[in-house]
Order: sequence, then structure tokens, then C-alpha cells
Amino acid sequence: MSTVPIESLLHHSHLRQNSKIYRGTRSFFIPCSLNLPSHFTSNKLLHSIRTSVGASSKHRRSVAIRASSPDTAVVETAQSDDVIFKENFPVQRIEKAEGKIYVRLKQVKENNWELSVGSSIPGKWILHWGVSYVGDTGSEWDQPPEDMRPPGSIAIKDYAIETPLKKLSEGDSFFEVAINLNLDSSVAALNFVLKDEETGAWYQHKGRDFKVPLVDDVPDNGNLIGAKKGFGAIGQLANIPLEQDKSSGEVQKKSESSSDSTKERKGLQEFYEEMPISKRVADDNSVSVTARKCSETSKNIVSIETDLPGDVTVHWGVCKNGSKKWEIPSEPYPEDTSLFKNKALRTRLQRKDDGSGSFGLFSLDGKLEGLCFVLKLNENTWLNYRGEDFYVPFLTSSSSVVETEATEAAQVSKHSKKTDKEVSASGFTDEIITEIRNLANDIHSHKNQKTNVKEVHENILQEIEKLAAEAYSIFRSTTPSFSEESILEAEAEKPDIKISSGTGSGFEILCQGFNWESNKSGRWYLELQEKADELASLGFTVLWLPPPTESVSPEGYMPKDLYNLNSRYGTIDELKDTVKKFHKVGIKVLGDAVLNHRCAHFKNQNGVWNLFGGRLNWDDRAIVADDPHFQGRGNKSSGDNFHAAPNIDHSQDFVRKDIKEWLCWMMEEVGYDGWRLDFVRGFWGGYVKDYMDASKPYFAVGEYWDSLSYTYGEMDYNQDAHRQRIVDWINATSGAAGAFDVTTKGILHTALQKCEYWRLSDPKGKPPGVVGWWPSRAVTFIENHDTGSTQGHWRFPEGKEMQGYAYILTHPGTPAVFFDHIFSDYHPEIAALLSLRNRQKLHCRSEVNIDKSERDVYAAIIDEKVAMKIGPGHYEPPNGSKNWSVAVEGRDYKVWETS
Amino acid sequence: MEVSVIGNPQARICRAELAYRELGFRFGSDVISGESRNRVSFCNQSSKWKEIAIRCSSRSVKCEAIVSDDAHPFLNSAPKSKSLESVKLFVGLPLDTVSDCNNVNHLKAITAGLKALKLLGVEGIELPIFWGVVEKEAAGRYEWSGYLAVAEIVKKVGLKLHASLSFHGSKHPEIGLPDWVAKIGEAESGIYFTDRYGQQYKDCLSFAVDDVPVLHGKTPMEVYRGFCDSFKSAFSDYMGNTITGITLGLGPDGELKYPSHQHNAKLSGAGEFQCYDKHMLSALKGYAESTGNPLWGLGGPHDAPAYDQQPNSSSFFSDGGSWESQYGDFFLSWYSSLLTSHADRVLSVASSAFSGIEVPLCGKLPLLHQWHKLRSRPSELTAGFYSSNGQDRYEAIAEIFAKNSCRMMIPGMDLSDEHQSPESLSSPESLVAHIKTSCKKQGVVVSGQNSSTPVPGGFERIVENLKDENVGIDLFTYQRMGALFFSPEHFHAFTVFVRNLSQFELSSDDHATEVEAETVSIGSGTGAPSLQTA
Repeated sequence: MSTVPIESLLHHSHLRQNSKIYRGTRSFFIPCSLNLPSHFTSNKLLHSIRTSVGASSKHRRSVAIRASSPDTAVVETAQSDDVIFKENFPVQRIEKAEGKIYVRLKQVKENNWELSVGSSIPGKWILHWGVSYVGDTGSEWDQPPEDMRPPGSIAIKDYAIETPLKKLSEGDSFFEVAINLNLDSSVAALNFVLKDEETGAWYQHKGRDFKVPLVDDVPDNGNLIGAKKGFGAIGQLANIPLEQDKSSGEVQKKSESSSDSTKERKGLQEFYEEMPISKRVADDNSVSVTARKCSETSKNIVSIETDLPGDVTVHWGVCKNGSKKWEIPSEPYPEDTSLFKNKALRTRLQRKDDGSGSFGLFSLDGKLEGLCFVLKLNENTWLNYRGEDFYVPFLTSSSSVVETEATEAAQVSKHSKKTDKEVSASGFTDEIITEIRNLANDIHSHKNQKTNVKEVHENILQEIEKLAAEAYSIFRSTTPSFSEESILEAEAEKPDIKISSGTGSGFEILCQGFNWESNKSGRWYLELQEKADELASLGFTVLWLPPPTESVSPEGYMPKDLYNLNSRYGTIDELKDTVKKFHKVGIKVLGDAVLNHRCAHFKNQNGVWNLFGGRLNWDDRAIVADDPHFQGRGNKSSGDNFHAAPNIDHSQDFVRKDIKEWLCWMMEEVGYDGWRLDFVRGFWGGYVKDYMDASKPYFAVGEYWDSLSYTYGEMDYNQDAHRQRIVDWINATSGAAGAFDVTTKGILHTALQKCEYWRLSDPKGKPPGVVGWWPSRAVTFIENHDTGSTQGHWRFPEGKEMQGYAYILTHPGTPAVFFDHIFSDYHPEIAALLSLRNRQKLHCRSEVNIDKSERDVYAAIIDEKVAMKIGPGHYEPPNGSKNWSVAVEGRDYKVWETS
Repeated sequence: MEVSVIGNPQARICRAELAYRELGFRFGSDVISGESRNRVSFCNQSSKWKEIAIRCSSRSVKCEAIVSDDAHPFLNSAPKSKSLESVKLFVGLPLDTVSDCNNVNHLKAITAGLKALKLLGVEGIELPIFWGVVEKEAAGRYEWSGYLAVAEIVKKVGLKLHASLSFHGSKHPEIGLPDWVAKIGEAESGIYFTDRYGQQYKDCLSFAVDDVPVLHGKTPMEVYRGFCDSFKSAFSDYMGNTITGITLGLGPDGELKYPSHQHNAKLSGAGEFQCYDKHMLSALKGYAESTGNPLWGLGGPHDAPAYDQQPNSSSFFSDGGSWESQYGDFFLSWYSSLLTSHADRVLSVASSAFSGIEVPLCGKLPLLHQWHKLRSRPSELTAGFYSSNGQDRYEAIAEIFAKNSCRMMIPGMDLSDEHQSPESLSSPESLVAHIKTSCKKQGVVVSGQNSSTPVPGGFERIVENLKDENVGIDLFTYQRMGALFFSPEHFHAFTVFVRNLSQFELSSDDHATEVEAETVSIGSGTGAPSLQTA
């Protein structure tokens, strides 16, 4: 029985061994029309500057000649010209080659088909491709089977193949690659994109991969090729079915006689499709612009020259009044200038005599602020500079003065600030601090001024704040996912005795009442009953029992029939007795509810285990759709997937209704008071809120366990992201459940093991775990049945357990003690700490003041009545009005209390 | 719920935070590093903070000394310009205020929130009213009870109400078109906008069916008219006193545009033309034939990029691309003319429906600021904003608004250029300025709105926009109430913003402001030198 779901998993993993989400290249698709030089080497740059310098002197000579031409603007050149602007703009000219890509599917014989992909434009064409297998969901690619790969193919990662296209024949401009398809394989579709290694451009189909379906039910995302439906866009693609009539008849016949694997392929038809492509080839050129101010005429003379071949037209305008809007200057204009739509001027540049480019001169009024232009090479080719117009700023006589002044002023002030700082560096900071204080008081309450008005004012503000806070809390409870706000609440929380499912009374201490081996005896409930009195006298208030349902695994975490409560831990009656017994001694009991996944009873027609039996006889609609192993038909999972069993789709109303009913039944029937929720990473916390609202537990805690962050194997000091994820989950439950403080456990590990006790204070001087942010919802622990016991997935540093307990049993949060530790040599020490916590009435919202967090010692004072230190270093609580006496003491830890 | 304990400590934290913000602005980053250890705030506060400091200082280099100018919105220290005082501030209610079944959602929260806003001095509330909620069941069966209940609360609290009649659906929260319309849409193709992949946009009817009797023999315009009439009579008691404005939904998201951007990616592409429904295509065909180019009427541009592709990835929008060609002018003129005439139709229907009631009407434009720096302005083209012969594309629209004596709502007033990702070649500031100018030329009154999610520096930018003497904005709607809006951090910033619009109800506050000004000016004296070198 228990091996069955695993078997089905293995079956699939064999098929999908190499599968991996196809993510690499897709994000790198670069549009093939970049008109900016994103990469030119520094050598090239130097070169082009050199040329342009050389060219400009040549060009000045020719200016003198042109200047005498009577019908053009007179260009003055005087020796005293000041060069006010000089720039060499690199530009890229793009030449466009047009052609087509074609895709042809044709039948060679029987089940052998051939797919050819070709291009009519020369280039270093590579087909980047992969396949989808029957039953795959999502957009993942897999590597094709070996026999499909044409010679010369290279495997890219484990999801794709690259095959170069070859020239069909010498002298032919077509490039092509052909892939043999054997329809007996389980390939459902072929995916590809075409890559031109010359330009690095990728060619896709409608923004997605090309997809050639080989079976009927390939989901159409608009990128199918050769699908009967054809293409949405009108006139975009030529769709020329070849010999359609003949082939379809033939294929029809064949598929009828063929084996099962091709049953779904009856729609396969030969096709030939082509689509136009254009390839752009970029040439690097440069435009150099020099602007000079002619001192005699106070005109600005701009020379533009470029090494662009062919006719170059400058499309230009001038700027006035500080705007970069194009305006038409007054005449005269340079030679070969025309007016364009009253918006701009067009001047054709003169070809240089040596044919190496062209140049032009523009003489403009001295009062103008600048010249804007773009270059036009032909009707379809325009060049600009990095997406913007070229802009040549002129210095007007007034602006230059202003600018100089400004610079001077800036220099002066820089200087004076520096002196300021030197003279009174300390005074300065003091003053700032005072300012902050004043302002903080000032913003809302102008105290000491007109007291009456201020009081009214203050009252109204308080009222506003109260109302806003009320609105906030209600809105928030109906809106999922929040992050930081909760932290505020944490800081604002005050102790109260109100019972809430997230906190219980606030004074709870948990006992985990089992370990990984507890199922072995078959009578764990009975064994535990015998300990009830002892656990109560130790001071525990809540007991966490193992998962009670029928389970595929003996420990209970692979539940099957949720209404069958006979398990390896005992019968349902023994369970009920146990709960009664603990209630008698005043201990509440939590049931371990596994809601994320459930093992199936039956196989579906495909042989996949995804049909449930028992009272909750769900079908595959109850299973999330994104775990391919179980062919769920539900929605996508709202969390992570647990891969060994079907993950339940909590977004289904019927599922939620059934779960709520079940939880209520467990409460009623067994007498549970609350829940420990297994693997809550697997589904959205909002559903948990729903379940908590329905079952109204006294206390609930979720297991949200993921990895802390490490850099080069060393744990990061800042684990805010980790605890944020847990806080987010609690938030999603609207605080209806607490969560195990995995962050604190992780940080304790490193702090204790490596003697790095400084880790135990976050930058704000608060505990670094969840307990520092949302103490009332943090269930602190150092070990459980997974991390420790006989599994030891993440065992607390051995021998240092008591330091861990000295920490969690004195700190806020709700501490949980592991069964193995209670009944070990640590028993007396744990008992002493438990008794201290109860005696001093420490609770989940107690206030911690961290007194010391150094390399070898961490010390804190809790609620001003308990002091503690862990670590080998020395610490004594401060001598003051309080009278500290040692309460518990052990290896590397010490706890004091006020008497 | 642990409500009552939240109030005070939270507010104190915010106050402290505000003080930092002001000082940071004036003293640069020295303060931050010195003080951050003592700050009681959240984990990512410091980074956000730094942004503000940098932003301000960079501007101070550009402009004159800001401190002495008293221009900074958070320095409540100078006599404010007149224009700010005249701005009426509205706050939007959540989109799902009234549920499908005409219940008022979060009733308690809204009531508390409205009281808070009233005390704060907010003028009124914007209420989105969905066609799909009111006329849900059957044509002509209107159910106003939910919205009437909200109007009553608003009236009781003493706020004004701006009703937004929404003829579109919404994705988040999910509110569709009326069920009976959706049924028609399923049975008959072509009433929705459709893109070239044949995907329908089911949250708004296509402009091409405006005057086609597709809704049980009635045209959408007739149905909208019926809706307006019903609204008018249902809310007659509130008209003019509580209800002081009505916005007409002009298209997807209530904005006058084609649904060209349907994927809400951070950096979206150019968008796609939505002219592939049956009616659009036949209109295009007719137009092409009438202009003597029948071949141009066979479909939309073949070389336009896909939704999430960059505009330059194909030739339509590139410089010298099809958009500039004769064909481009043909297509874009036609495409935008449908948009303009749709605006005209809806606004005339509304102005005749609401004639005789002294409530100003309003229509909303989109702010298509992405790719604004490209010559082709692809986002505007795909959304339907184009004008041939170099005429101003917004002026034509403004003219229609003027004709129907309608105000224009411009969103995105909180967006500033420097917070846009440079790759998007976006410029919200210049686009807002452009639209404002077009309105001014046509004598259209402009109202403002922010974008729906808070952006860094948003409040400062809004104040700058409202202070613009050039085009007076007398009404600003802040979007939108909800958990985020009332979250301590945001609500506090909002409070400060309101105070800066000098709408704080306490008139006795005036005197105190002066006192406060004194304190602050001492601070600014110290701050000035460091600012200039910041």
C-alpha cells in the first residue's frame, strides 16, 4: 500500500530526469534593431576621434571656398573663433535584409516524418530547440531523444539542443536543417527558436517559441505552427498547405491502423509555412560636431561631418528659451535646405571630395540656445543619438556669465561648508539631534503654545489616528498579504489575557508529545497518558499530539483517509481517552493536521494515483495542477509543492468545505483544542484563516520551514528576509495562527556552535528571529521530530541544548519543548526554567532588553524581572534598585530573577 | 482583533520618522548614518529614506536653494500659494465597496475611514459605481441599494460624493460586465475589443459597437443612457448637495483608451492595436475602400510588435517606420477617430441625461507615459491617441470635452520622471504638462488623480502639479482607500500631504503655523550651507 504513490512518482521521474524549467535564453532575447552602439572597443573610439580631428581640419579649408558662394548663407570664419562645443557621436547604421523563414512538416513514410526549418537570408543560423513530451504541462522544454538529433547537434544545458542550419547547396542562398521525427516516441510537440549567431538575434514566433504540435491536444498559446486553426493575424503569414487533400486522407488511414501511441496524432498534417523576417546589420560610423562662436558676428557656427556613406540629410531645428522644442530659425539657411512640414529644416550634407563621407556648415544666430538634429539616410533610415535627438548647446553671452557665477558660488559654499564642519563638527551633530527632537514634537503637537487650542488639536489628531487604525485593521483582515505593517502591531502589542487562536492565553508553554519513533510501539497514546500528571506538574499548558489519521507512512505525515483515526499511535478510542486524560490535568491538546497533501486510494485511467476514497472521495479536481506527477485538475498551487503525494488544491470550494467539516469533526469527536499545521508553505495562509475561523481553535501553530540565508557557507547576520517570509504567512492567516520560529532556531545554531553570540541581537537591538518582530505569534523551539530525534535533519548543537532552552524559556514568544529533551538528563534544568517562566508570569509578549551581545556572551533582561545570559563570557545583571538572585544555572548559562 | 492598542505608539513612531525625513532633506546623508541606530522603524526604512534624500539634493543642484524658497511640501513653514488652498481633495473608495450582491463590503472600515478623512479635512469621496453590479441580472433591471447605502453614509459623515459610473469591468477585484451582457458576448462574437491573436478583452465593449444594436436590440449608447437616467432618479435626493461630480467611464479602466496594454508588466511593451473584432474590421474595410485604398482595410498593421515586445523590435514604430508612412497615417487616423467619436458619444449621452442638474461631468484620460521619448510614442498610438499633420493629439480630445462642457481627469500626477526606469523612455511629467496645456487651450477644467499604487516621492510630485499656476487644478482625487491607505506609514504621509494642501479643518491652527514656522526657519538656517553642496 505504502509504496504505491512513490512508484508512480518514480515512473515519471524516469521520463523527466533531464527536465528543467526552460528559463535561460528567453529573457535575453534582444530585439534585432538596436540602433545604438552598445559595444565598441576603446580602440575603435580612439580611432574615430583621431579621424574626426584629422577630417575637421581638412574640412575647414573647404569652408573658405564655400563661403563665397553668393546664394547660400554667409559663413564667417575668423581666427578668434572660440570652440564652444565639440563632440564625436558614435552612431550605428542599420542595414536591413529581408527574407523569410520557412517551416515544413512532411511525411517520409509511415510514422517517419521530417520537419525542416530554413531561412533565405545568409547568416550563421542555429536552430535552438527542444521537445515536449506527452503529458507535460507548462512551457518546459526537454531534450529530444538521441535518435532525433541531427548530426552536429550540441546539447545546451539539459533542456535544449542547438543544431546549425546548412546551405542547401553551393550557390543556393537557402539554409536549412531537417529533423527526423519518429511518431512512435512520446514527443508531443517540438519547440524552437531560430538564432543568428552573426548578429546574436533570436527569431521567435509571435513573441514566443515556435511550437509544432505532433498530437492534437497541445495547448494553443497562439504560437502553434501548422495547427489547423491557422494564424490570427491577417495577411501576416503565407499559409500554403501542400498536398493537403492527399496527405490528410493518407494520414487518417495510417493512424487508424497504427498503435496506441499515435492514436492522438490523427490530426497531423503536412504543412509548409513561411514568414517574413528582416535581419539588420549594423555598421559603426560617427558624427562629429563642432560649434564655434564667431566673436565678430556673434554667430554660432556649427559644422557637422560624418563618415556615413551615401546621401545624408540633416533634419534640424533650433532651440530657444530653455526648451528643447524644435523651432525654425530665421533665414538664411545653408545650401540645399528645405522646410519640412513647418516643423523642421532639412539640409543635405555635401559629399566630401574623397568620397569618405559628407559634411555641412550651419551658421546660426548667436542668441539661440542650441541646435537639435537627427540624420536621415533614406526614407526609412533615421539616426539619432541613443534614442534622443542630437543636441548641440550654444553658450549665449548671458548664460555663460550666469554659469560662471554659479560655479563660483558653488565653490565658495563648498568651501564654507567644509570650514563649518571642521570648526564645529561635534556641535553640529548635537544640534541636529536637538532639531530632530524639536521637530518630532512640533509636527503634530505645538506644545506649550496656546494650550487650549493645542489640546483640541491633539484630541482630534488622536481621534483621526484611532479611526484610521480601526479602518486599517478591518481592511487588513480582508486583504491578503502584508509585510511590514505587522511589525508595527508587534511593537504596539500589549499583554492581555484575551484568548486568540494565534496565542492562546499568551502564557502557553508547549510540549511536543512524540518523536519520530513514537509509532513503533503501537500504543503511544497509552504510554503518553501515563505521563500526563508529570507534564502538568512541570508547567506545560499545551500538548502537541502526532498526526492521528490513517497514513501511508507510519509516522502519520502521509495521510490517506482523514476520517479513519486508527493509526500506529493507537486507536481512535485510545486517542479520545488520552485527550480526556490531559484535559483532566489542565493541558490543552493540539492535533497535528496535515492539510497540504493527501495520498490517493485509486489510480485514474492513466494509472496515476489521484483518486481519493473514504468519506472524502475527491477526484483529481482536488489536486493542484502544477505538480505534473499527479495530473491534478485543480488550480495552480498557492504555495510550494510537497512532491511525494498529491498536493491538495485549497482554492476549490468543495475542498475547503470538506476540510472545515473535518476539522470541526475532529474537535467534536476527539476533543482537540487546536492545531499544529503541517507544511503550511504549501498553500496560502488565507485558507488557514478560513479553517481557523471555522474550527475556532484555542491555539494553532503552523510549520513554515524554509532555509535561512547563507553566503559562502556562512550564515548571514541579517535574516530579515527569512523571518519576513514567516511573518508574511502569519499575516496571511490574519494572525489566526502562530508559526514555529525557525529563524531563531537557525541563528541559535550558529551563535552557539561558533561562539558568535553577537548574532542574537538584530541591528535594532531586538531578537533577530520572528520573536523580535511578532513575538505573540512566534512559537520558539530548538528541536522537533524532524530536526532531531532519529531523523536529525537539522539537529541543535549537541550539548548546548540547555543554552537554547535558557533562551526560549525566558524570552517572549510561546516556547515549545521537545519530548526527548524533557525525558533526558536535562529534566531537572528544564523543570527549573519552566517553573521560573510560570512563576514570573513571562508571556508571549514580554519585553526583552538586550543588555549584552558580544562574541562570547549574550545577556538580556525580560520584563525587568528576569535576567539571563548564555555563552561562556561573563555577565552580571546591573546592580540597581533591583535585587537579583540566581534562579537557574548550568553549563554556559545563568538565569536570575528579582525577588 | 487587537485594534485599540494600535493607535498611539504607532503614531509616535511615524512622527519620529517624519522628522527624519525633513532633516534628511536638509542635512544630507550625514544625519542618516549618525542616527540610524536609534531609529525605531522598519527594516527597509533606511533605503527608502535615502531615496528621498538623494532626490531632494539632486534637485537642489538644479534649482535654486529650496529651503529658503519654502517650497518643500513637508516644510509647513511659509504662507502657501493661493492655488493650493482652492484644491478640493477627494479620496477614492475601494473598487469593491459594493459587492456583486449589493452588499456594502467593509462597512465598518469605510465608516471609520470616512470619519477620519472628514476630521482631516478631506472634501469628499469618490465612489466607483459598476455597471456590472447595478444592472447585473437583466437589461433595465437596476439595483442601486448598495450604492445608495454608501451615499447615505457619506452624506451623514458630511462629505461630498463624486460618482464614477463605470461601464467597464475590473480584474482586481474581479468585477465583470453585467451577466446578461457577458452572455451576449459568449453567444455573439465581436462585441468586445479583440487583438490580432483573436483574444477578446471582456472588460469593456468595443468602440465599434457604440451605435450597433447588439444588446437585445439596443445600442450600448442607449443602454448607457438608461443607466444614467436611472442613476439620476435613484440619487435625485443627493444630486447637487452630496453628489458634486459625476465621472463617465470612457473605456477600459474607465479611461479613454483602447485596452492596448493588458499585461501589467513593470516595463511593458508598446501595446497592441485592438482592431480585430468583427465590427472594427468591417469599419476599417469600409473606410479603406472609401479612401481608395481597399487593400489597407484587410487588417491592422502587420509589423507592429507584440504586447511585451519593445517598440523597436519591429518596424512599425521605429523611426521612419510604418507609423510615419501614408499607410500609418491612414490607419492611425481611423483608429484614433473611433476613440474620439466614442468619447463624444458617451459625453453627449451623459450631458443630455444630466442636463438640468448642476453637477459637473468629468471624463478620464490615461497617462500613457511609457515610450514618450520615442518619436512615434507607441503607447499613445496603440491606445488610440494620434493626430495627423502634426496637430496636437490631445487638443482634439480636449475639444470634445469642451463641447460637452466636461472636465478632464488626468491620472498619474504623482509620477515623476526620475523614478521611471530609464529603459522605458518614459516621461510622465512632460506628458501631464502637455495634456494640461491642451486642456487650457480648449478651456477644459482639469482634475487630477494619482496612479493607483504609491510611488516614491509621489506626494511631493502631486503638490508640485497642483501648484502649477499655469493650469489651475481645483479637484484632486487620491486613489484609493484600503488596507494600504490606512496603514500607519502611508496614512501618516497622507496626513502630512493634506496639511500641506492647507485644508486642515482647525482654523485656529493658523496661529500655530506661524509659531511653527519660526522653529523651522531656525532649522533651515542651519541647513542651507550643506544643501548647496549636496
